[in-house]
Amino acid sequence: MDLLGFARGPALKVALIVFCLGVVWRIVGFALLRIRRDWNKPRASVLKYLFGGALTVATRSMPHPEFIARTGPGEALGYSYHLGLFAVVLLFTPHIIFLGSLIGIVWPGLPSGVITVISVLTLTLFLAVLFRRVTNPVMRMLSNFDDYFSWFITMVVLVTGLVATAHVGARYETLLALHILSVDVLLIWFPFGKLMHAFYIFPSRAINGALLARKGATS
Amino acid sequence: MSDAIGVLAANLAPAEEARTPQARVAGAMKGFVQEIGALSAFRLESCIHCGICSDACHFYIATEDPQYTPIWKVEPFKQAYKREASPFAPLFKLFGLKREVTADQLEHWQHLLFDSCNMCGRCSLICPMGIDVAALIEQARHAMFDAGLAPKELYQKAAHQRETGQPEPSAEPYRDQLLAIGVRFGVEIPLDKPEAEVMLCVPRTDIEHYPSAVAALARVVQHLGVSCTFRSDGLVAENYGYYAGGKDWQRDISLRLIEQAIACKAKTLLVPECGHAYTALRWEAADLYGKPLPFQVRHVTEFLADELQADRLKLNKAGTGKTTFHDPCQLVRKGGVIDAPRVLMKAMGIELNELKNHGGFSYCCGGGGGVLDIERAAPLRYRTMENKMREIDDTGADTFLTSCSDCRRTFDDAQSHFKWDKVPHSLLELVAKNLAGPGTRT
Amino acid sequence: MTQGNEALTVGEMLLKHGISRRGFIKYCTAAASAMALPPWMGPAMAEQLRNAPRPSVVYLSFQECTGCLESLTRSFAPTIENLIFNMISLDYNDTLMAAAGDAAEAARDKAMKDNFGKYVLVVDGSVPTGAGGGYCMAGGRSAVDTLREAAKGAAAIVCVGTCSAFGGIPFADPNPTGAWPVTAIVGDKPIINVSGCPPIPEVITGTLLQFVTTGQVPDLDEHRRPKVFFGNTIHDRCYRRPFYDQGKFAKSFDDEGARNGWCLYELGCKGPTTYNACATLKWNGGTSFPIESGHGCLGCSEPGFWDKGSFYSALSAPLWGKAGESTPLRVLEIGAGAVVVGAALGVAAAGSARLRQHRSEQQTDDTKGG
Repeated sequence: MDLLGFARGPALKVALIVFCLGVVWRIVGFALLRIRRDWNKPRASVLKYLFGGALTVATRSMPHPEFIARTGPGEALGYSYHLGLFAVVLLFTPHIIFLGSLIGIVWPGLPSGVITVISVLTLTLFLAVLFRRVTNPVMRMLSNFDDYFSWFITMVVLVTGLVATAHVGARYETLLALHILSVDVLLIWFPFGKLMHAFYIFPSRAINGALLARKGATS
Repeated sequence: MSDAIGVLAANLAPAEEARTPQARVAGAMKGFVQEIGALSAFRLESCIHCGICSDACHFYIATEDPQYTPIWKVEPFKQAYKREASPFAPLFKLFGLKREVTADQLEHWQHLLFDSCNMCGRCSLICPMGIDVAALIEQARHAMFDAGLAPKELYQKAAHQRETGQPEPSAEPYRDQLLAIGVRFGVEIPLDKPEAEVMLCVPRTDIEHYPSAVAALARVVQHLGVSCTFRSDGLVAENYGYYAGGKDWQRDISLRLIEQAIACKAKTLLVPECGHAYTALRWEAADLYGKPLPFQVRHVTEFLADELQADRLKLNKAGTGKTTFHDPCQLVRKGGVIDAPRVLMKAMGIELNELKNHGGFSYCCGGGGGVLDIERAAPLRYRTMENKMREIDDTGADTFLTSCSDCRRTFDDAQSHFKWDKVPHSLLELVAKNLAGPGTRT
Repeated sequence: MTQGNEALTVGEMLLKHGISRRGFIKYCTAAASAMALPPWMGPAMAEQLRNAPRPSVVYLSFQECTGCLESLTRSFAPTIENLIFNMISLDYNDTLMAAAGDAAEAARDKAMKDNFGKYVLVVDGSVPTGAGGGYCMAGGRSAVDTLREAAKGAAAIVCVGTCSAFGGIPFADPNPTGAWPVTAIVGDKPIINVSGCPPIPEVITGTLLQFVTTGQVPDLDEHRRPKVFFGNTIHDRCYRRPFYDQGKFAKSFDDEGARNGWCLYELGCKGPTTYNACATLKWNGGTSFPIESGHGCLGCSEPGFWDKGSFYSALSAPLWGKAGESTPLRVLEIGAGAVVVGAALGVAAAGSARLRQHRSEQQTDDTKGG
């Protein structure tokens, strides 16, 4: 079996299995811990505070005016590269076909040249983000292996994808194999690191927003 | 670790000094394990190390010291969660991927969790992942308390309050001081009535430092003709168990008030001008009690705003000129009582110049969470107050109001330290001065 | 075929067929240029060929469909290429030779003996080893034995077609006959793989010509294919590449995109991972090639192309075994299985954490007094 066959075949299968298994293990593992009942009387009706939770999902993406002067640039950087990654992953036709073969539905994509431009921009932002993490004293203090490795593996996926599309450095099937292998590694790493925030972000905002709305507190 | 802090020795109550480091760690871990539920686990899981919470925290903003990043304050507990209780805990332990929390770490973290956190909850508003960081800090304090690492000032006051109902001994018991205030200000003090619709309590800060505020409370309820009473066995609004992180002691302290309210068949427990008393009674007491409270808990501003809107209360114009208002964190941001103070101020025709960061986004006075009581925290506290004082000055206000006696005390302390030209005034006292017409209940 | 002509050199043969020296040089120059050899090689090749005694070529066919031979004989400049054919002494080819049976075998054995160490062995079809070699027998001898015997005296072995180069169709899963490529059977001779199913005619003749004139094996890639023909992918030379770059893909055969000649990536074209000269040399004397006719490249010059998933599933699709195994339903099955196991592990983790909590609280209750 050649490297490409391995990457697309057994490696991908194992990666998807570990991904599904790991994600569910992790979420079930903490979601089934104790949930304490709140005995204090809510300020708002159930409907109102569930709505408050839903609202928080949206509003936390936009920093409040009181905070934006301090957090704006950093958050803009973060959201931008996420948008770039989503565009590349979800709107590049070979990726759409790949996902389509897994989930059974496809959707239109962007011209491949546009995706290349977005990829290069995203790569630049991604480098900026590492620079920021390493130079900003708060982030440097907080950061651990998880932060750096998650960045690294995503970067490898991005870079190998660009290199494969550009057909530089080695035979195409080797480059493609490396790209798919790096995705396999990312899928295997996913449940064990901070990439899980993809699953956490909306429920976390919703739950904490709902609990604050229950008190009528600011959220 | 910051050089600015240096190595702080643990600030321990004498009762706690004898504990060995291992006992501390064991205590902390035990307390922590008991705390962890699905919600706190989810919060600890969700942190992506973005550091944005630091941008909400006045301790960080004033000092630019990364250690004051809010989520960093709970770091040993995040570590412990991953190692002990997370879904992959066996893997972490097996491969030695997370170290055990050490006694040194816990001692260092005493400063971060108590001296440099007002439990103000501003960080919970900024986190892009929606984590309620302040809630995690509360739980971390519980674990620190169980490790015997609550700062001595808070520990001792909590212990004394649990025993006697007063955080500190006084020459005269508060009950007597309360009655004396009634005499001094010529206002009736309803005390120990067997039955009343509203049970009153009082901040001991007011008894000791702002007796006029106590009188104002009594005057207002008298004016309104409310059926109410103070109870000698449940007088003090503050809860040092809440500050110290001693959950059981917090419960015991709240129980005093709960039992007295039940005893006098009160339908409402009225929280006076105090912030954390509101949090402890409105949003935490029922959970510690184990079932719903058989009465409502209302802050005095909420209560008065309701009376105003029901036309039972009329107020005169206050004539305070340009005025600004400091929103107590526990009442407004965390408590949800945002509009009531403004309804009262509007009714008094006050020209309100809001602070740049007001309402739910207000900066803490700097004294919350027990920080005002911790002596060694004073220099740090003063640094964080400079920004707040500047905001107040920037409004150009002549009068500055608030509705929490500890905030008031903190600002007074700042006034004396910085030779500031402003002192805060109590909103309740202003209302009491501007009561219009006779009360409608009699 | 070769009776009576053995003594003639190539040049004499050509003259006999009415081909002038000049015409022959022109042909050789064209052939040289097709192989990216320098222009001066043309006349040199012509000279070399004209004066050379015709080299002996033994062409063995094993598990093959005869498609490669059909391709080789479908030349579009018949006179010249047939003459090239006549310029080699094709001493054995069981399809083309007139003789059969013992006479044919005798001719082969004689040619191999007379030209021992000098003949070019051309092989098409894979070699079965199952049932003691019994799946391919000719003249009472198995293919394996015939190949091994013939390889002994060969100057070089040219494997024509994917079957002899890589195993091809017989080698595909489940490979019931135990088929193997030539390289798995013979190890100690120079081997050139001219893969394709079938290979392009000019690629076969060009490779043969180069070896015959220079006596040297050309530059080969990692699969031992001449780089001059197999150095680029179809994708790199495809005329539809601009559509790939613009993201214009045909979604089904005969849809608007297909009729507009858009890229066939979504319809399973394996161009990006297939090395061959189809996009440049094309077929039928430069008429067309599969993509130009509207069908995606099958990847037929690559090892294992039959076992690399459906011809109609895109390169970016997963490949978990036999074609049709990586369907959404299968993915769902595997995913569901993983989810169930994960959930069980999660329940175990939460359960053990809650147990610890419970124990810890009981302990606290016990040690607490009033």
